[in-house]
Amino acid sequence: MENNLGIKVPDDRHEGLVNGILAQTNTFKVEEPVVEKWTFFDTFDWRLYKKSLTLRLSDQELHLLDLKGGDSIARIQFTTMPVYARDFPAGTLTNMISTIIGVRAVLMVAEVHTQSRVYRILNKDEKTVARLVSTEVRTAPDIDSPLIASYLSLRPVRGYPKYARQLEQALTEIGKTYSIIEDIYLSAIQKARIKVGGYSSRLDLHLDPHQRSDGAMKVIFQRLLKIMKDNEAGIKADVDTEFLHDYRIAIRRTRSALGQIKNVFPPEETSRFKRDFATLGQVSNHLRDLDVYLLSEDNYCAMLPEAMRDDILPLFDYLRTQRGQALDNVGRTLNSNAYAHFLDEWQFFLNEPVPETSAETNAQVPIIDLAGQRIYKQYRNVIKDGTYLLEHTQDGLLHLLRIECKKLRYLMELFISLFPQKDIRRLINHLKVLQDYLGEFNDLSVQQEHLMQLAKELPVNDERSKMALVATGYLVETMARRQRIVKADFARTFKDFTSPGSKTQYRELFSGKSKRYTQ
Amino acid sequence: MTTLAIYSNKGGVGKTSSAVNLAYLAAQSGKSTLICDLDPQSSTTYYFRVKPKLKPKARGFLRAGRPVFRSVKGTDYDGLDLLPADFTHRKLDTTFNGLSRRKHRLDIVLKPFRREYDLIFLDCPPTINILAENIFIAADYLLVPLIPTTLSIRTHRHLLAFLKEKKYTNKYVYGFLSMVDGRKKMHRQMAPAIQHEFKGMLRSSIPCLSLVEKMGIYREPVPAYAPNSPAAEAYRTLWGEIRDRLQI
Repeated sequence: MENNLGIKVPDDRHEGLVNGILAQTNTFKVEEPVVEKWTFFDTFDWRLYKKSLTLRLSDQELHLLDLKGGDSIARIQFTTMPVYARDFPAGTLTNMISTIIGVRAVLMVAEVHTQSRVYRILNKDEKTVARLVSTEVRTAPDIDSPLIASYLSLRPVRGYPKYARQLEQALTEIGKTYSIIEDIYLSAIQKARIKVGGYSSRLDLHLDPHQRSDGAMKVIFQRLLKIMKDNEAGIKADVDTEFLHDYRIAIRRTRSALGQIKNVFPPEETSRFKRDFATLGQVSNHLRDLDVYLLSEDNYCAMLPEAMRDDILPLFDYLRTQRGQALDNVGRTLNSNAYAHFLDEWQFFLNEPVPETSAETNAQVPIIDLAGQRIYKQYRNVIKDGTYLLEHTQDGLLHLLRIECKKLRYLMELFISLFPQKDIRRLINHLKVLQDYLGEFNDLSVQQEHLMQLAKELPVNDERSKMALVATGYLVETMARRQRIVKADFARTFKDFTSPGSKTQYRELFSGKSKRYTQ
Repeated sequence: MTTLAIYSNKGGVGKTSSAVNLAYLAAQSGKSTLICDLDPQSSTTYYFRVKPKLKPKARGFLRAGRPVFRSVKGTDYDGLDLLPADFTHRKLDTTFNGLSRRKHRLDIVLKPFRREYDLIFLDCPPTINILAENIFIAADYLLVPLIPTTLSIRTHRHLLAFLKEKKYTNKYVYGFLSMVDGRKKMHRQMAPAIQHEFKGMLRSSIPCLSLVEKMGIYREPVPAYAPNSPAAEAYRTLWGEIRDRLQI
């Protein structure tokens, strides 16, 4: 059931307006009023809302709604609401949301209670040709509960545009028509006291290019700390794997910035925090590794011959048990006093206003100068390492190049708001291609070793374990083959990255010689 | 997307009522559903209170794509749309014959719908010529209603032989007993014989009930106007079985 365009109506005029509109139609039939609870869902990082979509569950029927247009794009029925895309029953709706929500959990964001009455407009064959819907939205199911808003809306029937136009005309004469779904959605969220689109793993900062570097860095660190804190509850509750992922990226970005933007804060403090963040990052390494393996379970199985696919399952069962333990470890750390104390200290440090004059050489430099300098230098590091690699291809060196690229990427993302958006985004995308390549190579080499090691931890005397070990061996071999193919591709991928055009762009954008972004 | 043809080369076996009721139940279960009325008698179209006529440019069902697409009408039920019958459908056989890729014309016409709908039901006229072959190519499954009579068995044998001869693998043919009258001795005897002779018979059957015939008076699917009746229950059971067997 869908409400498209509609108008918001004052409660006391509701009945009069309905009668007025119905008087203009041929005949109509009133349906029994339907009382429903509408529950809206989205991921923690609002992936659906960002695409102007929402999932609405009412009476065991889930609709994917287009918030702007008000249409129900797809629907599906079930008894219990699934949490992950992989648990949704096959169909159009699932296909559409899978790519958007990825591996994220679908969480409830708000709920309202509605009472709708449908007036079916009939033609002379008594065929329904349009529907006029009156909807009252309340905070609770009973009729005395506070009214959030009441609406009149139109639901066209396909193939009968004339009647829809007439009804729309009648509504427009009363007020401005718009998508009432979006209105209901936003007011439901407002009632739930949460901010729509409130969380994002992006930095979304707008730095002042002329700000002192120490002040600007504190702004960046504050934002990263906020991302960490936002994700803590989701990690502990094990809602989905992306909470930990975002949390870890925030830690890595913090570490990277502490290490690379030198001489803005007193060195002893910088190195202490750097060390502590490194330790904190390590706590969840194992958990993230296991997440990665388990998320690629299907991919791994696909790399095996059909007959072997079931053999490897004991390995994944084992990984799942391991993951439970790893999650407990991480949870313990996050709940510990030491962790709370560390974050307090960091917060305290960030809250402290920057000193009027600082002894640190870079502290008072405008952030745009420092950022540009650092990015350009790091870019040249990448080029230097890559060029050396072209002549001396070694697996270890590829790993080092990957680290250098990562540093460059973090720098560019931290300071993205300081530079012309189109240019810097293009360079980031360019870098991403190289990183994806290096990432795949690294994953293949690390995972071969790690998976084999994990498989050896399976109980030795068990027949299934033996089969799993053989299957893992096969998997590792396939990965090694793939790794050789990937490796052979390095020269081409790197050459694309170091095209003369991109060199010029890096120089122009970051070396401080021209085309500087000023406000 | 799955296309189901309710097909029989015999008339009066309950094709249209099955198509209408099954399509309605499919839509109720959350599948976006289209029912195509290929029968020039346009009974399905009548049941849904729609006027049998395609948009002018879509005439004759010949042009694929938008012209036919624009002819789709929403029914009185959420998630269920109808492609109405057209009087020109009575000549579909001859028209298809005069065209290139004559056995694929229906498949081509349905192409734009496959994106939009989870399920497409084809309500077919009784025929076993070129239109039937179009149906066999366009449909993923044939659902064949069978009245438990000797004549029914004979026609069904013909159909299976025809499919074999023309190399349409007959694994996607599902039969189900229709208009079963427990008071008739012949029906009681033939029902198990049919279940025994043909592979792919569904277990659920539709009894011969006057309530089903009343669809013409109410102009609504049975589960809509008599949701608690045995007839509605029979269609629900049948739809449940089809869903399980076909995994849709």
